[in-house]
Amino acid sequence: MAVSSSSSSLLLLLLISSLDWLSTPGSASLIDRDQMTSPAPLGPHFTDCISRDQVTFQCWWNPGDFHNLSAPGAVRVFYLKKDSPTSDWKECPEYIHSNRECYFDANHTSIWITYCMQLRSQNNVTYPNDKCFTVENIVRPDPPVSLNWTLLNISPSGLSYDVMVNWESPPSADVRGGWMRLEYQIQYRERNATNWEALEMQQQTQQTIYGLHTGKEYEVHIHCRMPAFKDFGDFSESIFIQVTKVPNKESALTLMLVLVFGVVGFLIVIMLVVISQQHRLMMILFPPVPAPKIKGIDPELLKKGKLDELNFILSGGGMGGLPTYAPDFYQDEPWVEFIEVDADADAGEKEDNQSSDTQRLLALPQPVSHHMNKGCSNAISFPDDDSGRASCYDPDLPDQDTLMLMGTLLPGQPEDEEASFDVAERAPALERSERLLIQTQTGGPQTWVNTDFYAQVSNVMPSGGVVLSPGQQLRIQENTSATEVETQKKGKEPEGSKDTEEKKQKELQFQLLVVDPERSGYTTESNAQQISTPPSSPIPGEGYQSILPQPVEAKPAATAEENQSPYILPDSPQSQFFAPVADYTVVQEVDSQHSLLLNPPPRQSPPPCLPQHPLKALPAMPIGYITPDMLGNLSP
Amino acid sequence: MHMMTALQRGAWALLLWPYLLTVSIPLDCKEEQGSFSRCPYISQEKLLDRVIQHAELIYRVSEESCSLFEEMFVPFSLQLQRNQAGYACITKAFPIPSSKSEIQQISDKWLLHSVLILVQSWIGPMVYLQTTMDHYDGVPDMLLNKTKWVSEKLISLEQGVVVLLKKMLDEGMITTTYSEQGLFQYEVQPDMLESVMRDYTLLSCFKKDAHKMEVLLKLLKCRQTNNCP
Repeated sequence: MAVSSSSSSLLLLLLISSLDWLSTPGSASLIDRDQMTSPAPLGPHFTDCISRDQVTFQCWWNPGDFHNLSAPGAVRVFYLKKDSPTSDWKECPEYIHSNRECYFDANHTSIWITYCMQLRSQNNVTYPNDKCFTVENIVRPDPPVSLNWTLLNISPSGLSYDVMVNWESPPSADVRGGWMRLEYQIQYRERNATNWEALEMQQQTQQTIYGLHTGKEYEVHIHCRMPAFKDFGDFSESIFIQVTKVPNKESALTLMLVLVFGVVGFLIVIMLVVISQQHRLMMILFPPVPAPKIKGIDPELLKKGKLDELNFILSGGGMGGLPTYAPDFYQDEPWVEFIEVDADADAGEKEDNQSSDTQRLLALPQPVSHHMNKGCSNAISFPDDDSGRASCYDPDLPDQDTLMLMGTLLPGQPEDEEASFDVAERAPALERSERLLIQTQTGGPQTWVNTDFYAQVSNVMPSGGVVLSPGQQLRIQENTSATEVETQKKGKEPEGSKDTEEKKQKELQFQLLVVDPERSGYTTESNAQQISTPPSSPIPGEGYQSILPQPVEAKPAATAEENQSPYILPDSPQSQFFAPVADYTVVQEVDSQHSLLLNPPPRQSPPPCLPQHPLKALPAMPIGYITPDMLGNLSP
Repeated sequence: MHMMTALQRGAWALLLWPYLLTVSIPLDCKEEQGSFSRCPYISQEKLLDRVIQHAELIYRVSEESCSLFEEMFVPFSLQLQRNQAGYACITKAFPIPSSKSEIQQISDKWLLHSVLILVQSWIGPMVYLQTTMDHYDGVPDMLLNKTKWVSEKLISLEQGVVVLLKKMLDEGMITTTYSEQGLFQYEVQPDMLESVMRDYTLLSCFKKDAHKMEVLLKLLKCRQTNNCP
């Protein structure tokens, strides 16, 4: 029951849906809708009637489910031309049985007149469903011919382009004669797309397609119809449009031009910056390469030949700011290197004549020192900026007495031909100085050496010890400044020997900074010279920098009377004279009488009370010798 | 409903405005003697072109009107029968050939006369159609405007054809027959459906005749330009 009712309802639904399908509005005359959607057997009917040129037309029929009617001649076509009320049915003028077609030629075709088509059987049984139309309403023009395209332009980016498509009207349609008017519609799509894009209909025989993409292939076809009529004709054959992207030489050229101009502009900017000497820009673009430089001293002076000015400045006579600087940057530098300043021209002479002051002093063989002199001649060292320059340090060579103790800060020409500044490492220098002293004390070499030996007391330790550091360079004179100094030595036991030493070191200008806490003065070389040898010319302005517990008097002349000032002597040197005599001595302490107690800087045993820590880190550094930079590490 | 009408009106206005622009210039100024309107001299060719343009437009608008009317008022079941009523379009005794070959044998004079007769025969019914359409319920304004526009353009077309006749054929003045009763005898039909069907038939017949006018004029043009196959 339910099943039958549901099936009937389904059938009803089917019928309704078929009726809906039937009821779609459309051109009543043109589309041959088969109204027999019911399950009844389908009889013969007309499938379509078409006119291509509005001059002739054809109709096709279908025999339907009755196969016995498929034989040619079994079904006959009749038409009625309603051009007068008295017209009647006539048979098809021309059968084409192979096609089941009835063809009406020009003589039988009239427009603006209604035709009705009818199918009849052999015995005049009329099949239902006539087909009525007017010829102009069934016109479906042939597709246009000669479809082709031309490229209009390509976008500057090369990605899209426009195309002009043109064609000709179908030859069957008499457009030129005015018999038919056609309007065309172009459709295009990408190669593998499913949907066609339709352009606007128009009556001209050309149209532009805009915005096609390069690299893609497009398919284009066209059809036409009579304006204000409904049916389009068939589509034409498709044509394919493709434009490949051409490497744009113009763009490459412009790119190159842009690059060239950019580079040229950049170079011009750099040139302008360089020329205009804008300091800030120069600093940014061309960061300065560190050059030899001393704080407060014009780098020009650091060049050769300007030793006098440098000495002047360093002695405090220049800007005046330098004296306070010197200890500061001495403290910064762990190493102070000694420079042997030898004029190249005189190098040979010196080395020949004064190959080694110490050597001469000690009557040591020269070649080594000679060697060493040469090796060190051109070295320039300054604590500030030199860290890797060639140093003359060679711990293996025992005969480095020539490289003596003078810590010269600056290279310079030797003031005398006889004088030479020897640069030496401190450690060996000290050793050598010790040796020298020892040797001299023990009746050392007979030769007088024209080396400056001086030490500068750069600081006094809180514990009372005096720190010596390489002082300024000093013009060495060939006279007896050393001797004078020697004579001034008060020392202890070795005084006597020192006298001899002094004499022997007549030429030796050995300067020690003498500290007199009481006198608050210092002795300079000039003073020493004055004291000992009046004719010796004082060297003004080359005072030593010394740090005294009391205010220092700047004028060296005032301290002319400081002959009595205590000398710095190696403390108990004799006991340690087996070790090489150092050129520098360390003031160990100040005794109750404000006399400095010196300690020879022994290599083996460090003197007591001296902190060892900074020194041990340095190889071959004389133990017990404190450099200014180590002061900071020391604690009382 | 009003939205639909508004949309249709807008669509129709959009469709027709370029035509209205082109057609706004009067076809012939020689008729308007004494008027202040400036009429430029127009050549015969241009006049013929203008006339053809009129005919094309009229046909287009008539086709649209017919479709619109059919869609709105004619029941579906009767639409299929439209073609059955081929007799309803009664032509005058002045037969107009309907095949291409026959038409091509007609002289220019006859072509123009045929067009003139057609135009004149439809002026009356279009006016009538306007009046009857107002009686329908929910008739869209677009439809009314179209019919009104067609009426106006038919009159212009008639004027143009008359001038053409004068120029081309050197014929005398042909009086425009506005008061002609026309082909159809119209009575007020009480039945709505009958009225609708009659109007529907009227519109379809007019559409056909508008097409006739267009074809005839184009053939004439082809002959004038000596470019005919």
